[in-house]
Amino acid sequence: MENSKKLNPTTRFLIYSFIGLLIFSIIIFSLLGIYMSRKSKKAVYEIGEIYMSGMNEQMSRHFETVIKLRFSQVYGIVSVVSTDKIDKELYEELVYRAQIRDFNYLALCSTEGNFETLCGQAIYPLNPGPFVDALLQGERRVAVGVDAAGNEVVLFGVDAAYPMQNGEKSIGLIAAVPLEYITEFLSLTDEGQLMYYHIIRSDGSFVIQNSNTELQYFFQQLQKQFDSSTNETPVENSVKKFGDALKNRQEYATTFDVNGEERQIYGVPLPYSEWYLVSVMPYDALEGTINTLSSQRMFITLISCASILFMLVLIFWRYFSMMRCQLHELENTRQMALEASRAKSEFLANMSHDIRTPMNAIVGMTAIATAHMDDHKQVRNCLKKITLSSKHLLGLINDVLDMSKIESGKLALTTEQISLKEVVEGIVNIMQPQVKAKKQSFDIHVEKILSENVWCDGVRLNQVLLNLLSNATKYTPEGGVIRLSLYEEQSPKGEDYVRIHINVKDNGIGMSPEFLEKLYDSYSRADGTRVHKIEGAGLGMAITKYIVDAMEGTIEVESELNKGTEFHITFDLEKAATTEEDMVLPAWNMLVVDDDELLCKTATNELKSIGIKANWTLSGEMAVDLVVQHHKKHDDYQIILLDWKLPGMDGIQVAKEIRNNLGNEIPILLISAYDWSEFETEAREAGISGFISKPLFKSTLYHSLRQYMGVEAENDQVANQIDFSGRRILLAEDNELNWEVARELLSDLGIELDWAEDGQVCLDKFQKSPKRYYDAILMDIRMPHMTGYETTKAIRETNHPDALSIPIIAMSADAFSDDIQHCLECGMNAHIAKPIDVSELTRILKRYFQQSYF
Amino acid sequence: MNLKDCYLKLGGDFDEVLGRLQRKQTVQKFAYKFLDDKSFNLFEVSMEKKDYAEALRAIHTLKGICQNLSFTKLLESSTVATAALKENDWNKAIDMIQQLSEDYYQTINAIKEYKKSQEE
Repeated sequence: MENSKKLNPTTRFLIYSFIGLLIFSIIIFSLLGIYMSRKSKKAVYEIGEIYMSGMNEQMSRHFETVIKLRFSQVYGIVSVVSTDKIDKELYEELVYRAQIRDFNYLALCSTEGNFETLCGQAIYPLNPGPFVDALLQGERRVAVGVDAAGNEVVLFGVDAAYPMQNGEKSIGLIAAVPLEYITEFLSLTDEGQLMYYHIIRSDGSFVIQNSNTELQYFFQQLQKQFDSSTNETPVENSVKKFGDALKNRQEYATTFDVNGEERQIYGVPLPYSEWYLVSVMPYDALEGTINTLSSQRMFITLISCASILFMLVLIFWRYFSMMRCQLHELENTRQMALEASRAKSEFLANMSHDIRTPMNAIVGMTAIATAHMDDHKQVRNCLKKITLSSKHLLGLINDVLDMSKIESGKLALTTEQISLKEVVEGIVNIMQPQVKAKKQSFDIHVEKILSENVWCDGVRLNQVLLNLLSNATKYTPEGGVIRLSLYEEQSPKGEDYVRIHINVKDNGIGMSPEFLEKLYDSYSRADGTRVHKIEGAGLGMAITKYIVDAMEGTIEVESELNKGTEFHITFDLEKAATTEEDMVLPAWNMLVVDDDELLCKTATNELKSIGIKANWTLSGEMAVDLVVQHHKKHDDYQIILLDWKLPGMDGIQVAKEIRNNLGNEIPILLISAYDWSEFETEAREAGISGFISKPLFKSTLYHSLRQYMGVEAENDQVANQIDFSGRRILLAEDNELNWEVARELLSDLGIELDWAEDGQVCLDKFQKSPKRYYDAILMDIRMPHMTGYETTKAIRETNHPDALSIPIIAMSADAFSDDIQHCLECGMNAHIAKPIDVSELTRILKRYFQQSYF
Repeated sequence: MNLKDCYLKLGGDFDEVLGRLQRKQTVQKFAYKFLDDKSFNLFEVSMEKKDYAEALRAIHTLKGICQNLSFTKLLESSTVATAALKENDWNKAIDMIQQLSEDYYQTINAIKEYKKSQEE
């Protein structure tokens, strides 16, 4: 109701204009129909008139011909019979001539108008006056006469002066034929014709009257007009005009109403007589045609009107629905825009709250610290809290910056060679305090990761994982379980790629389906009431999604309210071209003890792949039993891997138990995803030989186990202890001071350093060097003569055997993503920002030395 | 006057540089070397000659040295000047000369003072 009342003004306008158009077109079409009917009626009338006039003309010609023929016959008689013959002979001759010309009556007319019959019955003209007058004037004339029996005949009178019996000279010779002669000849009485004819005299009386008497009234009126005695009644206009025309012997056409039907009347004077041929055409015949025509036209007009209207309706409707659709879309877009702006303002409100909270802490703690300058403990405590708050604040701001970068499309990925192991280890280290603070259990599964080294933007990958994991801890209540699992499979992108699956699962508060829909929208976070205490910008998932998309990965989420959430991410990453170390260990017997079956299985698989025969069990008690059993069979386990957290007996207790039974010979290693510094002393006392950190990558297992297996340990402990002696590096650096700093730092590592003062020198030195003389080139970017970019390109294009393989590492004060990208595009392998950080430099050098020549 | 005071005076981060270079002697050695570095001089001359490409290189080098030695204050002004030159904003770079010169001589004077105190 409300809706229909408040019809959109546009819609109302459309409806009104449509109705207007409808009415307008109906009126126009009706007018058109009526006008056309009128016009065609008129045209038909005109055609009728033309037709009638033609017919009448033809008829009068015909009449003339017939009459002329007869006249010529009569003249023929007159011409062959000379007037000077004696009476009797003359008459016989005349009669004879007349009879052979098919006249059955012949008479002579006296000056007084008396007829002297020569043959046939006596005949009197019906209207002798004009006839005799004409003869007297020497004209020929036709008239109708009757004999004694009442038969009507046609009289043909011509000028002829024959002696009459009374001695006078006649004024004319008159011959006659029966009236039928004319009527038949002219087919005046034929039935079934469209028209019929009357022949009347100039006074309106009939000469030949058609059997059709419907016009009697008309002729009566006509006769009345000529009757001077009855002058009182005014006659109808048409009749009067007709009468006038008749008098003046003019052609005339008119119509006359008979019993409501129209008749067209057409009069034409006939020659050689005072007669007038009146043809009558009943209009009903014509009218029928016209009516059919006009009704058909009306019908067709209406149909075309209707079809045009139908088309209009169709178009209008289509347009209308399109417009409705557009309006609808517009409304949707508006809603979305409103929603977005609402989310942004909500976000601002949240943000200002979220920013204020750590800011308050910082301000407050600073004030407290200032007030207690001398109380070191207090100040330290304050500083710790300030640090925490600052970090939190920085995180928030970083998120916002990332988001604004994403929204302006400026977030670029820097693909570098990373180790998945390092990334995951790093993340586990970062997550440990959070997980520990909430007393959650943190399971890490690494299955079948063969390609630990891949090309990927490590920083962004870290960001994704950290975001998912910190969300998991955030939204999982104390004591919950969080699981991170990784596995790889073949990538559809080809052999050089590997598909890494990452699963992050928790049993936290979960998400509602409604929230899942806008999970990746910016500025949204789980509904306020449930998670009021949880801080965050609400940008994490949007950033995560963007990064995953940018890495051409996929992210899926399954979540159920109050049950938990599982994220599943896949990336297709390019394998780094590392020479796989041959990771094989002696075929020792080994026991893995963990309450997590999946971990046991994956760990034993990994162990098998490096040559170790491994068994697993799920509880500490079982483990002790197994160890004792094997001992009795003299088939001792040579290494035992124990989880720290176990149901019932924990790892430390199990270790104690085993040591009690078997002594100190077997190395027992503790697996832990947690920082073991807290329980390290306790563990060492209980007889734990060492620790292995989760995740259990193949390389983690290999490197941790080999030291207990008598295999020579690798010297990869801490960066500074690495001996790079014998390595030779070419350093391109135009500034002496910078060069000396670098030399100072690198010579500590045993590296021999060659100095190139600029890009050109660097290129020359490299070209002159023997094969494998330099192990790497460190390249400054901004140098005179040749920049680092140019030098690198030039080096890569030389014919030197190491031209393509030698690692070139940029060292520059420009540490923007674009600069790094440019370095890599020019053919450099990595980028180190100045100032030189020894451990960072060592890490990178180690990677490239390993890769190329180890 | 010790090296830390010297860093304080020139507006640098001693802890940071020590963290990286690890030995006080190294830091001191490089700080002395900085007295002989010609980058700033080259920058000034190039700016005068309006050779901005050379000036950019010089100031960029100075920036690199400051990063290596954690001369934070001079690093900041040289970073601004580098950015200005990179963006071809000559006027801004010229405006920066004053600030740079102040920071440079503050650094140089602090090191000289320190050197003097050590020699005594």
